[in-house]
Amino acid sequence: MKFGIFFELSVPRPFGNGVETAVYHNALEQIRVADEVGFHTVWAVEHHFLEEYSHCSSPELFLTAAAMQTKRIRVGHGAVVCVPQMNHPIRVAERAAVLDILSNGRLELGTARSSTWTELGGFEVDPDTTKKTWDEFVRVIPKMWKEERFSHDGVCFSMPERAVLPKPVQDPHPPMWVTVTSPGTELDAADRGLGALGVATAGFSEQERRLKEYRRRIQLCNPVGECINDQVATLNFLYCDEDIDEASRLGNMLIGQFGLSNSHLLFTREAYPTKAYGLLANISPGGGRRRTPAETDPGRSANLPEGMAIGDPDRIVHVIREWESLGVDQVNFMLNALECIPQDRVLNSLRLFGEHVIPKFQETS
Amino acid sequence: MLTGSRPLQELIPDLPRIASFDIDPISLEDVEILQVQYEVSAETIDRLLPPALHPTLPPLGLWTAWSVQDSPWGSFELVQFRVSCRSGARPRTFLAAAAINNDNAQRELSRRWGLHARMSEICFNRRYESAEFCVCFNDKCVLCADMKDPENFSPNDVQFFASMHGADTPRGLRLVQFDPQFEVTRAERYIPTIKQFDAHAWGLDSVQFTYPVIAYGCNAVVHLPKLRFICKPDVSAFEGSETI
Repeated sequence: MKFGIFFELSVPRPFGNGVETAVYHNALEQIRVADEVGFHTVWAVEHHFLEEYSHCSSPELFLTAAAMQTKRIRVGHGAVVCVPQMNHPIRVAERAAVLDILSNGRLELGTARSSTWTELGGFEVDPDTTKKTWDEFVRVIPKMWKEERFSHDGVCFSMPERAVLPKPVQDPHPPMWVTVTSPGTELDAADRGLGALGVATAGFSEQERRLKEYRRRIQLCNPVGECINDQVATLNFLYCDEDIDEASRLGNMLIGQFGLSNSHLLFTREAYPTKAYGLLANISPGGGRRRTPAETDPGRSANLPEGMAIGDPDRIVHVIREWESLGVDQVNFMLNALECIPQDRVLNSLRLFGEHVIPKFQETS
Repeated sequence: MLTGSRPLQELIPDLPRIASFDIDPISLEDVEILQVQYEVSAETIDRLLPPALHPTLPPLGLWTAWSVQDSPWGSFELVQFRVSCRSGARPRTFLAAAAINNDNAQRELSRRWGLHARMSEICFNRRYESAEFCVCFNDKCVLCADMKDPENFSPNDVQFFASMHGADTPRGLRLVQFDPQFEVTRAERYIPTIKQFDAHAWGLDSVQFTYPVIAYGCNAVVHLPKLRFICKPDVSAFEGSETI
């Protein structure tokens, strides 16, 4: 079991007085602590124009800063938006290779196609086309990395023979992932030999269903790269506190703040009717799955939601054992939302997790 | 979170009165629907919503025209202008203005569901190659929405959202959730153009259409159900929502 931290870089209003700067620097401090205490990966989204919800529009710069300030933690795009109006595929391959070099081979490349009208409309992207462009990107990027010179005659772009430089340092190339929001995208990942990077929180039963079919399909995959990434990661929330009632208070606030800001996004299907986007929203955290915790759950008395890594260390170990038993390879955590938890509490939560939880899983890491 | 800033009484000076929530549901067979969706300027969007509602970013302005062939009140056309928003965490639209061309339908929609629409002349045309709807107040064209280049798409992909509108209800001034159910049988998308819009005539001075998104047309059976939820207009939906 591996553990990651996941950043949207949400910024509370009002945006003046250095609040964006504080969010960025708080996040970098959290990454340094996560690196010290044994987290495996830091992930950063790519979003554009999403006021409050995410001010993380240049993750390649943020992740470079993270890589320069850390030694071990891997740096992950969670994920690069694979539509040409936002990112040309050549530039994606080039920037990723540079980040892999600068981080000494610590890059994980997640890919995505954007899910809000705010973003697609802002770049004048036709929502009907994004699945196709994403597919083209994930097929050409590994070739750009591996082939000395590359040429392409495609649908969303073409190029004459050129050397795409530099090349990444990981051999054969950095692991590639697909962000999974809509049910079914995990199958697109499996068919292409890509890791399934869950970016919408999913309960145990939903995750179990997705995992089962993913594991079956990836055995039959036609990989787009020179290696298969058969890992499944799920998104979660982390607030660890020795006082379980305090953990419940702040952890539920974190879930609530994130869920509310997520529900205020203008998802593509709301603005633009298309079969290419089947969901009206991400699955809201805990939404529809806020079952009574199982009898064995130590967080039961504190009204903690099923499957969320909120509570004291014992409760969080219990929750992660459940995820582990489903076959999840990595759990990635949101640490804060709209700065609703003070920075010192976030850092303390990370340290407690590193001291009391990570060692329990080291033998399986 | 951004919220609306305008008191309900300012937004809708002639709030319709709902005397009783005990109404019979009605089904409207064979309704033709045209809907034009534009982004509207976010600068003044808070002035279009009451404090209970949150704008989306960008805000969407939705012009929806119904051509109802048959109803208990005779045939009629209804044009609504709504703004995308959130009530708590839920996607909704807020009805900012409406027009209708049948006295009986106007009265009954107002009395039963609190849906206020101004009497007007409405022209509704859905042709093979294009569609349009226009509204005239006192012989002056105040809206003309044009749709071109139809493209068939699945009726399952048509999305409707419950709307909220202000009314004087048995529990006082409230936002009323109007939640028709649609059985869509045929749908096409279009490229929209708003050729004419008189903001002042509609009482929508702060509305600026900034970017065309999409238009669509469809045929549907529309079920107008009983009202189920209302909400205090001046507090968050988490505090102010009430079940009928």
